[in-house]
Amino acid sequence: MILLEHVSKHFEGRRRVTALNDINLHIPRGELVSIVGPSGSGKSTLLNLIGGLDRPTGGTITLDGQRLDGLADDGLTAVRRDKLGFIFQFFNLLPSLSCLENVALPLHLRGWPKKKIDDRARELVGLVKLTARLDHLPDELSGGERQRVAIARALSIYPPILLADEPTGNLDTQTGIDILRLISDLHVTLGSTILVVTHDMSVASSCQRMITIRDGKIVDDLRR
Amino acid sequence: MNSRSSIVGRPPSIVRLIALGLLLSSGVHAQSDARQIVEEAQRRTNTKSQRYEGLLQVLDGKGKVADKRWIFMRLGSHGNSKAVLRFVAPPEVKGVALLIVNHPDRASDQWMWTPALQRERRIALQDRSTRFFGTDFSFEDLEERDVEQYHYRLLGEEPIDGIVSWKIESVPSEKKTSQYTQSIVWIRKDIYAIAQIENYIKNDVVRRLKYSDVAQVQGIWTGRRLEMHDLRKNSRTILTLDKLQYNVPLKEEDFTLQALK
Amino acid sequence: MRLLRLISWPYLKKHAVRSLLTVVGIVLGVAVFVAMHTANQAVFFAFERTVDKIAGAAQLQITAGEGGFPEDVLEAVQNVPEVAVAVPVIEAPAATRVAGQGNILILGVDMTGDRSLRDYDLESGDAAVVDDPLVFLAQPDSIIITKEFAGRNRLGVGDTLTLSTMVGDKAFTVRGIMRSGGLTSAFGGNLAVMDIYAAQQVFGRGRHFDRIDLKLKDGVPIDTGRAALQKTLGVGYDVAQPSSRGQQLESTLAVYAISMNVSSVFALFIGMFIIYNSFSIAVTQRRSEIGILRALGAPRHQIRNLFLIESAVTGLIGSIAGIALGIVGARAMVGTISGMLEGIYGVAERAEEVSADPRLLGGALGIGVLTSMMAAWLPARSASRVDPVQALQKGKSQVLTAGENRARRFTAAALMASAVVCLLIGRSIWFYAGYVLFVVAALLLVPAMALWFARGLRPVLKWLRPVEGALAADSLIQSPRRTSGAVAALMLSLGQVIGLGGVGRESYNSIVDWLDTALNPDLFVSGSQNLSDRTFRFPESLGKDILSIDGVDDVQSVRSLRTNVGGTPVLLIVINMAGFEQRGHRTMVSQDPRGMYALAKAGQGVIVSDNFARLQRVALGNRVDLASPGGLLTLPIVGIVADWSDQQGAVFLDRSVYEQYWNDQTANVFRVYAKPGTDPQVVRQRILDRMTPAQPRLLVLTNKEVRDWVLQLTGQWLQLTYSQVFIAVIVAILGIVNTLTVSIIDRKRELGVLRAVGGFRRQIRQTVWMEAVAIGMVGLALGLLFGAANLYFLLQITGRDLSGMYLPYRFPFDLALMLFPTILAAALFSAFWPAESAVRTSLVEALEYE
Repeated sequence: MILLEHVSKHFEGRRRVTALNDINLHIPRGELVSIVGPSGSGKSTLLNLIGGLDRPTGGTITLDGQRLDGLADDGLTAVRRDKLGFIFQFFNLLPSLSCLENVALPLHLRGWPKKKIDDRARELVGLVKLTARLDHLPDELSGGERQRVAIARALSIYPPILLADEPTGNLDTQTGIDILRLISDLHVTLGSTILVVTHDMSVASSCQRMITIRDGKIVDDLRR
Repeated sequence: MNSRSSIVGRPPSIVRLIALGLLLSSGVHAQSDARQIVEEAQRRTNTKSQRYEGLLQVLDGKGKVADKRWIFMRLGSHGNSKAVLRFVAPPEVKGVALLIVNHPDRASDQWMWTPALQRERRIALQDRSTRFFGTDFSFEDLEERDVEQYHYRLLGEEPIDGIVSWKIESVPSEKKTSQYTQSIVWIRKDIYAIAQIENYIKNDVVRRLKYSDVAQVQGIWTGRRLEMHDLRKNSRTILTLDKLQYNVPLKEEDFTLQALK
Repeated sequence: MRLLRLISWPYLKKHAVRSLLTVVGIVLGVAVFVAMHTANQAVFFAFERTVDKIAGAAQLQITAGEGGFPEDVLEAVQNVPEVAVAVPVIEAPAATRVAGQGNILILGVDMTGDRSLRDYDLESGDAAVVDDPLVFLAQPDSIIITKEFAGRNRLGVGDTLTLSTMVGDKAFTVRGIMRSGGLTSAFGGNLAVMDIYAAQQVFGRGRHFDRIDLKLKDGVPIDTGRAALQKTLGVGYDVAQPSSRGQQLESTLAVYAISMNVSSVFALFIGMFIIYNSFSIAVTQRRSEIGILRALGAPRHQIRNLFLIESAVTGLIGSIAGIALGIVGARAMVGTISGMLEGIYGVAERAEEVSADPRLLGGALGIGVLTSMMAAWLPARSASRVDPVQALQKGKSQVLTAGENRARRFTAAALMASAVVCLLIGRSIWFYAGYVLFVVAALLLVPAMALWFARGLRPVLKWLRPVEGALAADSLIQSPRRTSGAVAALMLSLGQVIGLGGVGRESYNSIVDWLDTALNPDLFVSGSQNLSDRTFRFPESLGKDILSIDGVDDVQSVRSLRTNVGGTPVLLIVINMAGFEQRGHRTMVSQDPRGMYALAKAGQGVIVSDNFARLQRVALGNRVDLASPGGLLTLPIVGIVADWSDQQGAVFLDRSVYEQYWNDQTANVFRVYAKPGTDPQVVRQRILDRMTPAQPRLLVLTNKEVRDWVLQLTGQWLQLTYSQVFIAVIVAILGIVNTLTVSIIDRKRELGVLRAVGGFRRQIRQTVWMEAVAIGMVGLALGLLFGAANLYFLLQITGRDLSGMYLPYRFPFDLALMLFPTILAAALFSAFWPAESAVRTSLVEALEYE
């Protein structure tokens, strides 16, 4: 469950920029939600706040009953560790690590035993159908394959919440469709809450719920 | 050469000889006159030996330093003499002695003896121009020199302390090493005794020696108070001769380095 | 210029910290250079001024080695027609017994006449320096001190000053105080004047003088005067201008000067690599900017010049700061160098004014700017070759191309081969050329080697920390250019540590070996705690008295003095050859088939130390010219032995020959052997009981005391190594901070991902730390390898040109072992700040694309 109450985000500079203005949002567990809006509307900011990568200027965010405000940096990291998986537009794989190592990265950071990490990572690579590419470096993979690695990495701990920022933004149409299908399949299989930020209406329309943001405000909240 | 005057006094030996000289180029007449005067003065002071007790007082800008006393003994006279000067007071310097062996044709040899170190030191020729232990005399001023060592020229007559004196210029001869370029010597016409000497370096008077308290001692006219004035430092040293005796019996052996000890 | 303001300035501002670090590289190099040379110059200058002041108006000085010469030489000199004034001098250092004042130089002069040559006029002005010159002379305890010394120690006329002399501690009475200026500035005022004849007595000179100072008659050319004097005196006498004493000193300190120069060159080299490092990084980071400039029509040379001008400005700023820092450092170093002088002159030079020579500073500025520009040359060139299209593509960073790497390796191999050829030719200049070629080749190999080592390190780091370790190693592997500058700098400085440390250690060991075999007497009777202090001497006959003491088995007298051979002041050691043969235990290198001891004993030859033979480039059978007061003594070398008595070499001469030529029957040291089974301590006490009433100055040292003293002296060698370790640590910190600062910028995104997927701050820090440790390790590995070779070169230099000691090659493993924790600690220390900055970056920013 994700709960946002009166969340605002301002950027202080020479001019005060309001990225989000008094957002109230409730996303129940297991929902697949898309967030759409033109660029600069604040949708990525919203995702960053929910993911604990950034802090709101005002309001509270609660993930699974855990309030994020008041947490120190390592507290936020702990929340990310246990509850969140990230999928980025530019994949953000570590170029020097193999496919398997990239997937295993969060598990290593959690200090899991080697054997358990290996088993889980292989399982996930299988899940995203990349077993054949286990030892390849990111540079040796296609865009879609890289995004699948990234998805596998985001799922490595089977997080209750999965956040995807333009997951298809850097992929061609067909691959984008494939990735999206993978995400909805995983939603069905794992029952995670999934938030997808996109400006692609076809992607958005494939989700159960579509939230539209414009100028830092929720202007539409559609459920199918 | 003959002297033209009668025997008069003689100046005390240690300082006397600087003055003994006269005459140079300007006229053979003046030259021979001047030389004769000096020769006569030297002749009149010829003695076998001399002994006195000296009192040395240095008067610089701040007044008197310390009185020193010495006993002076000389065997022979002028260019053929030897002298020993031994300090007796103050206690710090008692026993320090100076041996001077004069030569008629060249500068003297000088040695100093310091009892605390039990050794002698030679006073090198190059050092004769330095001051004699803080007095206004230089080591060179202690030499007994001979008439032969200078060229003379009579400059005229002038009264010194009201007594008419010959004014004679004396220039060191070629083989004589001296710090002075020339000296002007005043010799009293009445007694052939030296009354005053002015020593020059280039054109400046650097030291002036005045003789006073002149009296006849054993037939020799002797100035018993010598005042040396260092004009560069404007400081004066007065030497007073006490218990002066001539022709006292002295032994040759007492005038050696060995005897100094 | 406008480009500079528009493009460079914002970059510099943005990367202020790193720009500062870059500048620090040059600052360090220039500072070391300036500090060493300024300190050197300051001391030399002070010493030369001292020599000058002591010499006064003297045009020439006459000496005859350390032994001095008989008094009557003075008269002979005064009678030389060309000479106007000649005065005798005795120079003797004496311990002041005043805390913190050390030694004072006593100048014994002839108070009746010396004034004409020196400017310590005793009576100029209105106040006489000495109240009563006659009292001064009549009292042998009279001394004149300088106003400076009097002021420091609150001494006034009439006060007593106790000095340690030949006849024991002796109280002197201050009878005059020299006004400031002139002579009083010699040795910073630690100088006193006394009557030369009194000095003869208290300093055991007998009827000898140490020196004659003289002035020639007006119009006599110095060379003419010198020739006339030399002709009168003969070869045993040295007639020279006072300034040549300074030169002699310089040659004595050559060892020190050479190591100084090597160190400052290394420092600049290291600075160069730090600059190279920074500029390579800057070029990489600013590729897109360069691409835009190129796309907007900037020609290549403009781009190159932009970077060169930037480097020149960096160099200029760094040099100015370096000069300032160097002058400060020089003040600190002056003390050390002064101490070295004390060993030679007996009195520490007080170089209080450390003023730098403008030419040196100009040179340092030039060197700083030039080094900086040279270092930036390659990066600037590569910047000018940036392809605008490629540069504008995002996310691609330039890596070292395979071709570039191959070219480097090829060049390195070629240089290495030439280095070997040079070494095989072996002659001096070729040898040094070989050294330089080797260093350049090693530097060229650094990127490839660093890569190789980093790859080897990866599994280890990965095993330690699967994510943090692997990523740290990958960071090195992927940006060899970023790392190699720091690694090269570290390699150079560690190589220097190993080289100098190895030489120091081996010299130390050799000397210990020598001490073990040669230093076998149970007791040493000497006039000074310092056995090389030859100021105090005893009559040689004292040896017989010592021999008659119960429990004494054997006594050997030793008279040692410095004498000039081939322009070098070597140590002449006078011994009884028979005793030397029996007790000396020198390891023989080679000898005349007729037996070296027999020949030397018969006065038919000398025995020399092997370092003498090497430094003088002489062999068995060659003749050695020894100048003595009795004339030139030419003897063949009949034997060569291992002996480290002196760094400049030692010549052993039989006493009978020495006495004949030097007319000297004194000894500085008696080597005393106790009867077997007798406690040396007991014998020591007996000697003291018997001898001190007559010889209050006499000291009896045990074997152990002497040994400790020698080892302590030798230990100073090792000190140089430790200062190098310090430099290495600074370099390590500087290089690693610089590299890591860039690394965390390069890895901003990677670190952001780590944090996003659940990495704690601790874990981010760890990866930065591990990268630092990895750089340190690679630097260590290369440094130790380089050091192994450097040690070889330094040992060769030592043997060839410095001390003539050919030392065995032994790698200083313990030193290397010590470097591990030191450098790793330095690495961790350097990582602290970058690691903190890494965990503080905004995550959102890190994950965004630029």
